[in-house]
Amino acid sequence: MPRLCALCSTQRPILKRPKTGQQICKDCFFYVFETEVHNTILEAKLFQPGDRVAIGASGGKDSTVLAHVMKTLNDRYDYGLELFLLSIDEGITGYRDDSLETVKQNQKEYNLPLKILSYNEFYGWTMDSIVEEVGRRNNCTFCGVFRRQALDRGAAMLGVDHIVTGHNADDVAETVLMNIMRGDIARLGRCTAICTQGEDTIKRSKPFKYTYEKEIVMYAYFKRLTYFSTECIYSPDAYRGHARSFLKMLEAARPSAIIDIIYSGEACEVGEEATKELKERKTCKRCGYIASNDLCKACTLLEGLERGMGNAGITDRGRKQLEASGPTPDGLRTIPFFQMNASTPTDATSSVTTSGQGSGARISPVVDVSAG
Amino acid sequence: MSEDQILLKVEFGGGLELLFSNEKKHALTLPARVPADNSTSPAPSEKETKPLDIAYLIHWLRDHRLKERAELFMENDTVRPGILVLINDTDWELEGEGGYEIKDRDEIVFISTLHGG
Amino acid sequence: MSTSCGNPTVEKDALMPRRRKFDRTKTCIKCKDNQGNVTIRHAVYCKECFFPMLNQKFKRSLEPTINPIPDGPRKKNLYPPGNLLIAFSGGLGSTVLLDLVHKGYVASRKPREDADAAVRKKDPKNEMVWKEVHVCYVEVCGAFPAMRDRTEDVRRVVESYDGFKFVPLRVEDSFDTKWWESVGGKPDKGELRVDITNEDLILLPSSNATSPLSALHTYLSSLPAPTAIPTTLQTLTRLLLLHTARATSSSHFLFGTCLTSLSVSLVSLVAQGGGFNIKEEVQEDWGGEGGRQAVRIVRPLKDIVMKECAMYAWWRGLEVVGQEVWPDARQGIGGITKDFIVGLEKDYPSTVSTITRTCAKLAPKETPAGICTLCNRPAQGHVQDWKTRISIRSLSPSLASPQQPSLAPYLCYMCHTTLTSKSSKKPSSGSSSAGGEEGNEVPLPLWVGARVRRMEREEMRDKVKEFLLDKEEEEEGYAEPI
Repeated sequence: MPRLCALCSTQRPILKRPKTGQQICKDCFFYVFETEVHNTILEAKLFQPGDRVAIGASGGKDSTVLAHVMKTLNDRYDYGLELFLLSIDEGITGYRDDSLETVKQNQKEYNLPLKILSYNEFYGWTMDSIVEEVGRRNNCTFCGVFRRQALDRGAAMLGVDHIVTGHNADDVAETVLMNIMRGDIARLGRCTAICTQGEDTIKRSKPFKYTYEKEIVMYAYFKRLTYFSTECIYSPDAYRGHARSFLKMLEAARPSAIIDIIYSGEACEVGEEATKELKERKTCKRCGYIASNDLCKACTLLEGLERGMGNAGITDRGRKQLEASGPTPDGLRTIPFFQMNASTPTDATSSVTTSGQGSGARISPVVDVSAG
Repeated sequence: MSEDQILLKVEFGGGLELLFSNEKKHALTLPARVPADNSTSPAPSEKETKPLDIAYLIHWLRDHRLKERAELFMENDTVRPGILVLINDTDWELEGEGGYEIKDRDEIVFISTLHGG
Repeated sequence: MSTSCGNPTVEKDALMPRRRKFDRTKTCIKCKDNQGNVTIRHAVYCKECFFPMLNQKFKRSLEPTINPIPDGPRKKNLYPPGNLLIAFSGGLGSTVLLDLVHKGYVASRKPREDADAAVRKKDPKNEMVWKEVHVCYVEVCGAFPAMRDRTEDVRRVVESYDGFKFVPLRVEDSFDTKWWESVGGKPDKGELRVDITNEDLILLPSSNATSPLSALHTYLSSLPAPTAIPTTLQTLTRLLLLHTARATSSSHFLFGTCLTSLSVSLVSLVAQGGGFNIKEEVQEDWGGEGGRQAVRIVRPLKDIVMKECAMYAWWRGLEVVGQEVWPDARQGIGGITKDFIVGLEKDYPSTVSTITRTCAKLAPKETPAGICTLCNRPAQGHVQDWKTRISIRSLSPSLASPQQPSLAPYLCYMCHTTLTSKSSKKPSSGSSSAGGEEGNEVPLPLWVGARVRRMEREEMRDKVKEFLLDKEEEEEGYAEPI
C-alpha cells in the first residue's frame, strides 16, 4: 500500500517537511506553511484592520514568499490591510540591479504599489562606492545600518504604520547565537521579538519568525514563485558565517534545533542589572533618527566616509578618533532630517512623490530626495 | 650522534597517548634540516629545506607514530584546537608555536584538554 | 537574508580582532621576575605564580556560596549547614577540583567540631569546613556496549586522598528501586511507563518489572534521535547525584565545570531550548521545597579555563582516569557545540568568557510555572500549546483525551523536546509502524513516577489546571525527611 500524507491521510506525500520530519502532500504543505504564519500574526496581534503595511522586498526568496503569503492571508482571513512593496537599492552592480527587476515583476503579479529608494539618493553613496572606500571588511555594517534607516524613511514617505520583513527562523536563531557569543546584550533582548517598536520608529515585524528557510525555498519552488537567488557579491560578516555554519550543524543533528533556540531566546530577557548598562535612547542631532549617541550610527558612518576615514564609524573607539580629529567640516553631505509621519499622504502614489523630510533640518540636505 | 641529527623527547598526556599506541613517552632522532613543506616521506634531495621545527614534528608524529583518528590530533596543518604544547615545560605560545626550531635534547609535551569533563 | 557559510578556522575577516597570544613580554606578570611558563588569556605566568593564582580564582568563586546567606565578598566565617558532595567523573575538570578541594579544605585539618552555626562563629582554620566530604561517581558504561567500567580506576584516585568518602553509582540506578529507597524514596506501587511515540507522552501503568539495566536500555533505545542520548545521560547523572547529595546531608554539591565547559554547556542548553534555565546552569539550589535543606550546586572552576586545568593537572602530576568520551557524544548537541566553541576560541580567544558574561546578564522572562518532573529544574508551562502553534503536526486538535494521563504537561520544554524531537537521520515513520505495541512503553526514572503520582493526586484533589503547584509540597515520595 502506498504511503499517505501524515496530515490528511488521503494524498500521496511529496515532501518531507524539514521542520517536523513528517511526509506530507503539497496541499497540506501549503496549508501548514500559511497557517503557521497566520498563527504567528494572530498570536502577536501584529495588525489592525485598515493598517498600511509595507513589505520590505529585496527580490530574494524570503521577501518574495513573504509578499505572496501576506497577500494570500490578507485576502483569505480578511485582515483588511493595505499592502505596499518597499525596496531599497543599495547600489550593488550585478546584484541589486538584477534583483530589483524581480521586485518589479512581483509588483505586477500581486498588483501592489512599489516604492524603490536608493542609498545613493539618501546618503550620496552606493554600496559599490562604499566598498571602494572601506574595502570588504566592514561593508556589511554600513549596509545593515543604512538599510534599516532607509526602510524606516521609505515607510514614513509611504505613510505606512508597519514594515514586515522576511527574516526567517534561521535568521532569528542565528542572531540569538551570535548575540550570546559576541555579548551583544542590547540586541539579545530584542532579537527574538516578533515585533519591535521604539517610540519614534515605525513598527517592524517578522511574520516568518518561526518559518524555516528550507521551507521558504520549498514553498517558492512548489508555488513556482520567481525570485532572485544570487548571493550578495560582497563578503558577508565572517562571524555571522560561523554562527550560521554552527546552526546548520545543529539542524542536521536535530531539525528542531532552530525553533529550540528561538524558544530559548524568548524564555529569557536582559536582567535588571544589565539593563542599566544599556545606553539610553537619544535622537540624532543631525538627522532626527534614533541614536544611542549624539549622532546616529548612519550619520557617524556617513561622516567617516565623507571625511575619508571610512572605518572610523564602526566602533566606539573609531568614533572617538573621528571626533578628536576636529569638528565636522562645513558642506559635508548629510542625511535629510527624519520625521515620523511628516505628512499624511492621501494615497500611496502621492506619497511617493512627496518628499518626507520635515522642515526642521538644521543642516540642509545636499542630497535630493525624489521618487525612485 | 652526528651533527645533522637532533635527539628529542616527546610525551603525550591528557588521553592523547591513546592515539599513539598508548605510549606516553617517545624518544626520537630527527634530521636537523627537514623539507620546508613538512612532507615526511623520503623525498628527492633537491627539495627546499628548513631547520627542524614544531610544525614539522607535528606532521612527522602524525605520519609515523599516530595509530588512529588523525583528525583528533591535527586540523588545518597544526594541532587540533584544545591540544596544548609545552616546549621544555613552557607553553609553546611563548616560544613561537609551530615555528619554534627544535634544539638537541628538547622535551616536547602534547596534552589534550578535550577528553572527559 | 542568507549569508554564505564561512569556515571558522580559515576566515580572518571579522569584527572581532585577532590578537597576539601574549602581551608585550615573556616575563611573569605576577612576580615580574621569572621567565613565564604559560600564557592564560594573554597574561604570562611562571610556574611558581601559576598555582596560587589558580587557587585564588577557585576560592573566590567557591567561598561566597558557602554560607546560606552570603555576607559579601570578604566573608570571615565559613559555616555550611551540611556536608559536601563532589561530583567526580574522572575527567580533567573534576580531577583538578578534587585536588583543589583536598588541598584547600581537607588536608591537614582536624575533624569539624559539631557545634551549630550560631555557636561556631570562629571558623578555625585547622578545622574541616564541611564535616564530611563525599565523592560520587556515576558509571555510564551500562549505556554503551563496548565501554569499560572505570569504577575501580576512579576509586583508586578518590582513595588516594585521605578524608574523602567514595560513593560509586551506576546510571541504571535511576531505574533501580533499591537505589531509590537508599536515598529515601518510597517503594513505589508499580512504576510508570510512558508511550514515547506520541507528543503527548501518554502515561501507562507498568506491566512487568524489568532489571534496571534493561530499563535503561529500553529508555535510551526509544529516544527519537541520537542527540537525545548524551542529553539524557547527563540529566540522569545529575539527578542521581542530586539525590545522593540529599541522602548524604550535603548542603553543597560541587561540579568540576571549568569556564570553557560552562560556556559550552550554556550554548548547548540554549540550542536545546533550555534558555529558561541559564541561571541554573551556572548555580542552582535544588530540593528546598517543604522546608527542607536545599542542596546548592556550585561550579567553583567557572573562572578557570580548560588550559589552566590541563596545566594544573600536568604540573601536579594528577592522573586523569576518565578520558574516554561517550561514544555518541560528538553527535550530540553538546559535542557539536564543544567542537564549535573550542575551534572558535582559537581565533577569538575571548569567546568563552564573553558567553558566560552574557549569560550572567540574562534572567528568565516569566516566573516558573513549576518544576519539571524529569530534570527537576524550573519550567515554563504550556510547552505543547506553543509547539502546536509553531509547527502544525495534525489537522485536528490534539488527540489526547483529558482522561488519559500524560507526561507532557509535567515536563519543561527541553525535556519534552529530548523525548519527542526526531532526528533527520532516523526514518520518521508514522507513529504505529515503528516497533510492536510493547516496544512503545518506556520505563521512567523513579523520581519522575514519584512526582507525577503526587501531582496527579493533587490535581484530583484540587482540580487545579495549572502546570504544577510549588506550594504546600508534600514530599515527593520520600518516606521521611532526611
